[in-house]
Amino acid sequence: MTVPARRSEATRGAGSPVLAIDRVRVAYPDGPDTRVILDDVDLSVTAGELVVLTGPSGAGKSTLLTVAGLLRRPDSGEVTVAGTPTAGLSQRQRTKVRRDHVAFVYQSANLLPSLTAIEQLELVGHIHGEKASGTTARARSLLERVDLAGRADQLPVELSGGERQRVGIARALMASPSLLIADEPTASLDPERAGAVVELISEVTRSEGLATIVVAHDAWAEMHVDRRLHLDRGRLSEVGPPAGAAAQRA
Amino acid sequence: MFLALRDLRRGVRRFLLLGVVIALVAVLSTVLSALATGLVTDGISGLRALPFDRLALQEGAEATFSRSTLRGDALDRFEGVDGVEATPLGASFVNAASTSGGPNLDLALFGVAPDSFLVTRDDARGALSGEPGLVLASELEDQGVSVGDRYAISGSDLVLPVLGFTFAGTYGHAPIAFTSLDTWQQINFGGDPDERFSAVALSGGSDDDLAGPASEAGVELYTKSEAYAGSPGFTAETTTMTLIQGFLLVISAVVIGAFLTVLTVQRTRQIGLLKAMGASTSYIARDALGQMAILVSVATLCGVALGAVLVTIVGSGDVPVELNPTGTLGVAVSMIVVGLIGSAAALPRIVKVDPVIALGVEQ
Repeated sequence: MTVPARRSEATRGAGSPVLAIDRVRVAYPDGPDTRVILDDVDLSVTAGELVVLTGPSGAGKSTLLTVAGLLRRPDSGEVTVAGTPTAGLSQRQRTKVRRDHVAFVYQSANLLPSLTAIEQLELVGHIHGEKASGTTARARSLLERVDLAGRADQLPVELSGGERQRVGIARALMASPSLLIADEPTASLDPERAGAVVELISEVTRSEGLATIVVAHDAWAEMHVDRRLHLDRGRLSEVGPPAGAAAQRA
Repeated sequence: MFLALRDLRRGVRRFLLLGVVIALVAVLSTVLSALATGLVTDGISGLRALPFDRLALQEGAEATFSRSTLRGDALDRFEGVDGVEATPLGASFVNAASTSGGPNLDLALFGVAPDSFLVTRDDARGALSGEPGLVLASELEDQGVSVGDRYAISGSDLVLPVLGFTFAGTYGHAPIAFTSLDTWQQINFGGDPDERFSAVALSGGSDDDLAGPASEAGVELYTKSEAYAGSPGFTAETTTMTLIQGFLLVISAVVIGAFLTVLTVQRTRQIGLLKAMGASTSYIARDALGQMAILVSVATLCGVALGAVLVTIVGSGDVPVELNPTGTLGVAVSMIVVGLIGSAAALPRIVKVDPVIALGVEQ
């Protein structure tokens, strides 16, 4: 099976399902029993759509993200990313699809301690095999976009929590992904900084035409989303868009 | 090695301990290599300097002069072979007590025919052809021995003058001395030498040319390097040194492998993150191995340089150390190769890291 090249304009088009999860099941052995984490879950996220996923602790939200981000193979079902069904792909092919189409934003930014802000982004270009000169220019431009142009040469330890998270978002954008997966990106931030991060994720989802899934507990964050999904006991249910979503988008 | 280089540059303290350990092992390896070379030189440099290709010794002598006694008939077998020069060689260890106030000496005494190919200098030929006496290794001149000093040779009634000095050299850790074959026989066999000597030194000819005469004479042939094994302690010393160096290399590999394994465990989440970002396992492995290659190379080169300085300082005294460029380079290359082999021990852990841990999910 061949793996398509990095995201093309075709997959960016509004309405295209960038992520399609079809009847996915994940279960773990739990002593003599089996614990079902995801039970025949279906999910489709289109380009430019921001979906928030909520649910109680242990409901399987992170597991769903790992399945959607091709970090874990489900026990059954199909995960299609940017038009590529992945169930039959080898590990190497799945890594390539992930490299070309998926990016993550983490709860604690997950920056590499020995790299400056700009190098965090350049590393992505290096992993993609891009030339250093072009990578640096693009990284600088992305840092400008997240309002961190003046902090490009700072190490993570020299950045505030909000700045680290914005570097993490810029790093995710550096991969030119089709699918952005964010796992509680505002959990460790104070409300003011959290608001800025939510605004930023919302803005890049629209402007870049990303399909974005965010796991979040914060009720206010839902004001910026298209759909709200709830995961509980392995079952995914649509709660619907929050009341102010249309106004926010407008 | 995008990440490896920056990690090394900004995490100097983290890598310092391993770098120092590798450098110290490299210092020790360099000093041991120099000591091994020095001991070899001290053991056989005199024999190595003699211009022969092969030695014929009595069967069962195992290259040891003291176990070999030959007579003229053995020499006769080789003298008729085309393209081969053959000459008798006497070799023994003697104590020489000064009768003129100089230092007493332990000598590796070689008895040679003055007109043979073993004596290349005309002045030495002249000296050995005249009255009985000793031509000594030049380093003895530095120890206060002078031409004209007289030495009583243990085990004989002879008191021999120092006739001159020749090239520096030792055999069995004793400075070499030359005397005429007649004098050597008189020292070792008294009034009944019966043409006895230790070995036949051969120049020219091939194994095929010499195999027949050797068999007829009942002797065994040794190349020059094979003959070194007969130097007292030579095999034991070189084997011991090689073993110590081998152990050091194994220790290096284990230390480096253990360090990288611990580092890999500490970096598990970081490796997971890189995998989640789409880095292949080979990309991460190249980065980790490259980092170790740089660290091991720099630390080894620093250690070898420091070792060379130490050898130079120690070598100016009485310790038999000698820097050998090939041996020193060999130490450096071996350390780097062994370091990389040790580093490879951490690779399975890198392969095993599951990218799900980047999201804080247990593997």
